[in-house]
Amino acid sequence: MKRAITSNFRGLHALVVHGDDMNRETLVSVLGRLGLSVTVLLPDAVPPVGAPACDLLLFDADEDIAGPCPAQDWPDVPVIALIGSEAPSRLARVVGHRCDSHILKPIRTTGVFTAILLAVNGHQRRRRHEREMENLRQRLSGRREVTRAVLHLMSTGGIDEEAAYEALRQEAMNRRVAIEEVARGILGAGSAAAPPPPRPGLSRKA
Amino acid sequence: MSRDTLRIGLLFSATGSYAALGAAMRAGAELAIDEVNADPSAPVRLDPVPVDPGGVTAAYADGALALLRDHGVTHVFGCYTSSSRKEVLPVFEKHDGLLWYPSHYEGFETSDNVIYTGAAPNQHIVPLARHLLARHGNRGWFVGSNYVWAWENNRILREALMEAGGAVMGERYFPVGETDLGALAAQIVRDRPDFVFTTLIGESGYQFFRLLREAAERAGLDQPRDLPVASCSLSEVELPFIGAAAEGHLSSSVYFSTIDSPQNARFAERWNARFGYLGQACADAEATYIAVHMLVGAVARAGATGLAAVREAVRGLRFDAPQGPVEIDPDNLHCQMRPRIGRSTAAGTFEIIFEEAQPVRPDPYLVWVNAPQAGRGEARRPDHLRLVT
Repeated sequence: MKRAITSNFRGLHALVVHGDDMNRETLVSVLGRLGLSVTVLLPDAVPPVGAPACDLLLFDADEDIAGPCPAQDWPDVPVIALIGSEAPSRLARVVGHRCDSHILKPIRTTGVFTAILLAVNGHQRRRRHEREMENLRQRLSGRREVTRAVLHLMSTGGIDEEAAYEALRQEAMNRRVAIEEVARGILGAGSAAAPPPPRPGLSRKA
Repeated sequence: MSRDTLRIGLLFSATGSYAALGAAMRAGAELAIDEVNADPSAPVRLDPVPVDPGGVTAAYADGALALLRDHGVTHVFGCYTSSSRKEVLPVFEKHDGLLWYPSHYEGFETSDNVIYTGAAPNQHIVPLARHLLARHGNRGWFVGSNYVWAWENNRILREALMEAGGAVMGERYFPVGETDLGALAAQIVRDRPDFVFTTLIGESGYQFFRLLREAAERAGLDQPRDLPVASCSLSEVELPFIGAAAEGHLSSSVYFSTIDSPQNARFAERWNARFGYLGQACADAEATYIAVHMLVGAVARAGATGLAAVREAVRGLRFDAPQGPVEIDPDNLHCQMRPRIGRSTAAGTFEIIFEEAQPVRPDPYLVWVNAPQAGRGEARRPDHLRLVT
């Protein structure tokens, strides 16, 4: 299913970290046309502990703002690099700040909308992927416990691997929890309490 | 006493597949130029240099270059299609020219080198979408010339239909100038949508109207009633080219020749006397006429003719146009205009069946459409800048 892209940015709050010049003037005026509210901040005025709250961050990649405020302290919002110098040393910070898109200087009215659209939609996709990855990571880390729980049930209940796994799965479905959680419960209770009976639908609280 | 002469460029295709419109737009410019030159109080005399790219997109850049570089012109009135406008933009940026673009278009652009005097999407497709949903239903069939004008209008209308629980029954695109549209017309008659939305331009559009009418009649349908066709571009000068099938189609436009006002009566009289052979005056011709007068107004205000001075002077400039008062938005350099919907008549005109109560601010990025605080006519623009020092 194709997702509709976000193309209206009305009401978003943009933080522009850039010196006071024509580039910033053009950028701020286009952001206003697109319905965003804007806070501007000089690069040397970035506070050392976290940038101010915003929905979208546009920063001057030619300035060293990572010094006072390292990238990991930035809010997790779409980030757009405003690039003048294409020297690799400058661009390295663009990579380091996981920029979602960029605008080349001199900034013109053309291109700002595209940069915002790509940044906002790219950021949404990245957040989605991160959630999926976190999900997978948790399931992966639970796999070892599932295996141990299966082995535990096999040895204590005298059943084969398939029946042991089926018992775990059934319990997870009945309780509407992840199979990893059932496994952890069995292993936690395993040594202290009596092993759960090796039949489907085991209802004892682990 | 002699006034300074300002040489201006006219970059319109009075030949090629959308010649009817190009010729009408150039005529609109000439009408305004004559008025300016006959007015002793005008700040300048205008000396037009026409260039005809023949409807060939690639020829527009060459034409623009010739005007800006070889003829030393700064102000050019021209382009009809968006592809031609996109083609010339880099030339205007490089040579510090100002393009006065006098046609309705799909929006999503605010170039520093363009003044937009035609309707923005919130002034044509958005009111048309409302009208179609309210009066005709939510199942549409989309047909268009294969470029961004069609794609973007169709996207906007598609989203409006989806929101209303409707459907796009079919969507087809054809190269500009394509006239082999018989199978398409037959398919649409079989599908019986609530309405057809066309973004076909020029010859393709005229042929489509004829073929759809024929196919509908063969199926025993009254096409204008049973299978209405709507457009955001159909204009008076095109109706004669459609012939017998010209009557009964919907068009969304900020100008129709039938607007009842003293300004329009005067405009129509001069138009008919000089360009009556092109058909009735139309929106793009009027937009071109407005653009020329806006340039002269800006020159009078600025006391200069250069790009930067004129671009500043034009912000907020008003003109009492044939369609009613028009004002250039100081922020995005598009025009405040009044959306209308008309139905074509056998006389080659449009009967106006809907009219917005007042001029609507241009919203080229459709930022304020559906905004809760925005009135229909008045888009809300907060003071958006906060300074932290």
